[in-house]
Amino acid sequence: MTASLSATVQSLLSALGALGVLFVFAPLVPGVARKTRAILTGRRGPPVWQLYADLWKLARKGAVYSVTTTWIFRLTPLVTLAATLLASAVIPLDGKRALLSFSGDAVAFAGFLALARYFMVLGAMDTGSSFEGMGASRDVTFASLVEPGLFVAFVALSVASGGLSLSNMLGADLWLRWSVVAPTIVLLAGSVFLLMLAECARVPVDDPTTHLELTMIHEVMVLDSSGPDLALLLYSQALKLSLFAAILIDLVLPRSSLPAWGAMALLGAGLTAVGVAVGIVESTMARLRLPKVPLFIASGAALGLFGLILLMR
Amino acid sequence: MIAAVFAGLALLLAAAFASWVLRRRPSADAVFLTLALLGCATLGIAALSVLVAGETSAFVMRAATPGGRWVFAVDRLSAVFLLAIAMIGASAAAFGTPYIAPQRSHRPMWFAHSALAMLIAALALVVTAQSIIPFLCAWEIMAIGSYLLIVTEDEEPTVRRAGLIYIVATHAGTLALFAMFASWSVYATDWSFGALAAAAPSLPNQGAMVLGLALIGFGLKAGLVPFHFWLPPAHAAAPAHVSALLSGVVIKIGIYGMFRVVSLLGGPPPLWWGWTVLLLGAVSGVLGVLWALTQHDIKRLLAYHSVENIGIILMGLGVGSLGMRYGDVALTLIGYTGALLHTVNHALFKSLLFLGAGIVNHATGTRNLERLGGLARRLPFTWLAFFVGATAIVGLPPLNGFVSEWLVYQGLFRAAHSGELLRLAVLGVPALALIGALALACFAKVAGVVFLGSPRSASARDAHEADRSLLVPMAALAGMCVLLGVVPTLGVDPAMAAAASVAPAVAAAMPDPLAVARNATWVGAMAIALLVLLAMAFALRRRMLRQREVRAAETWSCGFAGASPRMQYTSSSFAAPLVSTFGRVSGVVEHRAAGTYHSHALDLVLDRLALPAWEHVHRAALRLRPIQQGRLYVYLLYVMVALLVLLAYLALA
Amino acid sequence: MGSLTEFLLFLIVLSDFAVLGTSRLSSCIRAVALQGLLLGLLPLVIDESLTPHAVGLAAGTVAVKAIVLPSFLRWAIREAAVRREVEPLVGYTASLALGVGALAVAFAVANVLPVRSSEAELLIPAALVTVMIGLIVLVTRAKALLQVVGYLMLENGIYLFGLTQARRVPFLVEAGVLLDVFVGVFIMGIVVFHINREFDSISADRLTELRE
Repeated sequence: MTASLSATVQSLLSALGALGVLFVFAPLVPGVARKTRAILTGRRGPPVWQLYADLWKLARKGAVYSVTTTWIFRLTPLVTLAATLLASAVIPLDGKRALLSFSGDAVAFAGFLALARYFMVLGAMDTGSSFEGMGASRDVTFASLVEPGLFVAFVALSVASGGLSLSNMLGADLWLRWSVVAPTIVLLAGSVFLLMLAECARVPVDDPTTHLELTMIHEVMVLDSSGPDLALLLYSQALKLSLFAAILIDLVLPRSSLPAWGAMALLGAGLTAVGVAVGIVESTMARLRLPKVPLFIASGAALGLFGLILLMR
Repeated sequence: MIAAVFAGLALLLAAAFASWVLRRRPSADAVFLTLALLGCATLGIAALSVLVAGETSAFVMRAATPGGRWVFAVDRLSAVFLLAIAMIGASAAAFGTPYIAPQRSHRPMWFAHSALAMLIAALALVVTAQSIIPFLCAWEIMAIGSYLLIVTEDEEPTVRRAGLIYIVATHAGTLALFAMFASWSVYATDWSFGALAAAAPSLPNQGAMVLGLALIGFGLKAGLVPFHFWLPPAHAAAPAHVSALLSGVVIKIGIYGMFRVVSLLGGPPPLWWGWTVLLLGAVSGVLGVLWALTQHDIKRLLAYHSVENIGIILMGLGVGSLGMRYGDVALTLIGYTGALLHTVNHALFKSLLFLGAGIVNHATGTRNLERLGGLARRLPFTWLAFFVGATAIVGLPPLNGFVSEWLVYQGLFRAAHSGELLRLAVLGVPALALIGALALACFAKVAGVVFLGSPRSASARDAHEADRSLLVPMAALAGMCVLLGVVPTLGVDPAMAAAASVAPAVAAAMPDPLAVARNATWVGAMAIALLVLLAMAFALRRRMLRQREVRAAETWSCGFAGASPRMQYTSSSFAAPLVSTFGRVSGVVEHRAAGTYHSHALDLVLDRLALPAWEHVHRAALRLRPIQQGRLYVYLLYVMVALLVLLAYLALA
Repeated sequence: MGSLTEFLLFLIVLSDFAVLGTSRLSSCIRAVALQGLLLGLLPLVIDESLTPHAVGLAAGTVAVKAIVLPSFLRWAIREAAVRREVEPLVGYTASLALGVGALAVAFAVANVLPVRSSEAELLIPAALVTVMIGLIVLVTRAKALLQVVGYLMLENGIYLFGLTQARRVPFLVEAGVLLDVFVGVFIMGIVVFHINREFDSISADRLTELRE
């Protein structure tokens, strides 16, 4: 009894520790991506911890609210942050078990991310700006294609691992069957990577460094946010990117047999690696024309479907 | 508890009668409303007690009734629907009475009130009747009552046309039901549902005929694609509280019918039926929400969302019945529970949305999305209630829509683990995800274009908040949506008990039927955690802004000074990327010319299939016209010829 | 050895999808060249002993399928100055969906086919799906050049089928390679140039004008 209790406490502590690592290092991932991009294109670029500095600066500023906006706009950053934090509670960040784990928690993961997006879109519409409306429209368009792709990946993981909760899908059970499901895992990693680029507004779907409002998607939706609100939104965005990165890490790096500190070190290394990978994509690819983006997302989903078919034949 | 149902029915009939008797008195509305609410409350109590205590009681009419014994009973399945009828009926009556009161000068009010009370009573009768004849009678009263309410504003040609389409569709469905019951009762000893259930094993082909006809008959009522074509015009034409009742419960009676047939058949439905239901569900869901995105009329848009949600319910029913066939106990129970819970949830949030649309229509005089905007400031309470409904229908935590969609998802996920062909059902998962994401796009559009931003027309600018009597029913419905989302077990447990009563043999084999309910507790915990985190984030921001300057300014329009409300993104432009992604399936017809753009959405089934087919029928019918001579002796001649032909047939055969 | 074969086959299927999902002709050609290279490597991997026969077959296949035909196609692009498929009859996303459907069908059919491959489980489904996706490209793309690509994929699929029978009917596969050469030259020479000269366009759509 005491042994199982201490095991529970240990796994809880390990999950909390991994959650802490993610929360602290999340702003680093976009920074690493930006630095990689700068180096590959022959520039020095801002330091990798630039986003921390930005967040700190924004947090100490005042706020400007558009006279058109209502309480929705004020609520948007708060909901976005809270929903993204909750979504990270169901991902097994230490490679073993998430803080919360129950059957069907993958649906909750997608649901909370969708809640964040819903508020982002409404917040953008709340300003009455045509630019923000445009960004919102594009965001929901691409998200409605990403969501089925993401669920294909979840289904494939569920079949591959035999589990119904994300902790089982991405934890030890998956790696016990590695010899059988290896091709599927490779395909799913590709699929999740492409979907991550689309969902987290990176090149080739969106460009986080663009300066032209007409071409922005995510950036334009936060045009009217300022001060602490903008800080919360930027942090949530970085956290979402790190969450997808964590799923990727769970997919390709077995960590269930490692001690807690090893798993966390690998999590940190993995987050950096994903940041570098995103940066490489950003420096080697141009942005796609908007009508081409659905095809890009569909290719990601097709990879996942291919993996699913391989499993279910 | 059947006595309480009859008491409720009596109160509703009294309400209908009172509104006629007192039609010239000023107290008519108050008396009607009191009686109707009491009636609904009695029905609701009856349903709740069955759901909680689980006892079912039956009443058998002893008088010599046509068609054998007339049995009335409330079991768990009936009770789920009866509860929805009571809740939505009460809200519709409470909202509708003040809502149509201003029309008293030019319309007989008592008629609309009586028809509403009769419709609610008929709905309650349909779900409690356990014999063919009373079921079909109640079914027809329900159909006619809905028709009378749809054509309330019959001075409009579009309303008359919508009514005509509805009445044709509903009678086509009734015809299928007649055929279904006729082919079934041949094998039964009498016409009560109990006898039909007893006869189920002797039906040929595992009851293929019955199930097929049930899918058509009940499908026409439920409005699944391709039988949905009557639904958008009818919902758009009816007054708001009637649309709420139609979408909230009338179409759900189709779902009730399917569940009832499955439960009467007892055994697992055949494979083809389960697959067909699952497929039709996925198709209805995706096409329903896609077509909703293209609408300009807020009520038509909401009506297409009913098609979508019927699709989600059918996916639950389909995966459940497949699970039954393949012997997967958990799957059956979860699928059925998801379908039943979503039925109730959809009844709640969809009626809420229709009531909200009614207030918008009332306040601005238009239902056209392109002419609205900025109503959040002018109708703050309506907006809050509508927002809750919109968030719930998208299936987002922490509201009730998420709980039932989560259940349907779980059913589909479990199907993936089957070793048999059942695992193909897992393809429903991406379909459901697509439905959810498109619904998010659509309601972000509605909420954003109607309530947020700046007003796009003078009528939207001058809108005023509705009277409190209209807001109370909406608040009640919104409260239910929140409650069932934050405490999911409140809904999941009774729904699961009802699902178990549909498949008792399966449910008995389930090792731990409460496992799913325990998981639902986690969903509730996450919902509460969200609220806690929100409060913490709120406090954090407040702290950060305490010593800082908070200013108000114009919306940043990228340096351009002359921004006007007309430059806002419109409903059409918001939906444009999705419409072009889905191409011709979305059914949008665009008209472009220099400086103008106009688009309208076709209903691909009605405009491309049903109406052209009707044209052909009409033309063929014209050829038969010479038969009609208008002279009595000619008709007598026809009768005689027919008689002779029949006699000859008998003689030869 | 088995897993390496599976891996190659896996890449072949991915290259099928790459052709389906890209609009740029040069990318399509690159994908089909990669497919040819993979096909060439296959006999080496399947035959565990490196027989001269297998090596020869591999060299021939790589030479024809991965080098000669693709460079031929590239040259045709330069000559005809076409870069991308402008209006496919079926959209790219839709053809990707069709491709995934074909893949599912291929796996389903492979389970019931009487042909069994002892070497690799994936061989028959990969062959089937390559044939089917080749057909999809043939049917849904209007540009003659892409139709050639589709035809090549069809050929590659048949070649894969041939590999299952390689031990029993050794010359079948060589015949396939020869057929490639013949057909490739035939198509390039006749179709491309013929259409170009007669109609100043290499869109096969215009062939319907021949009806009059």
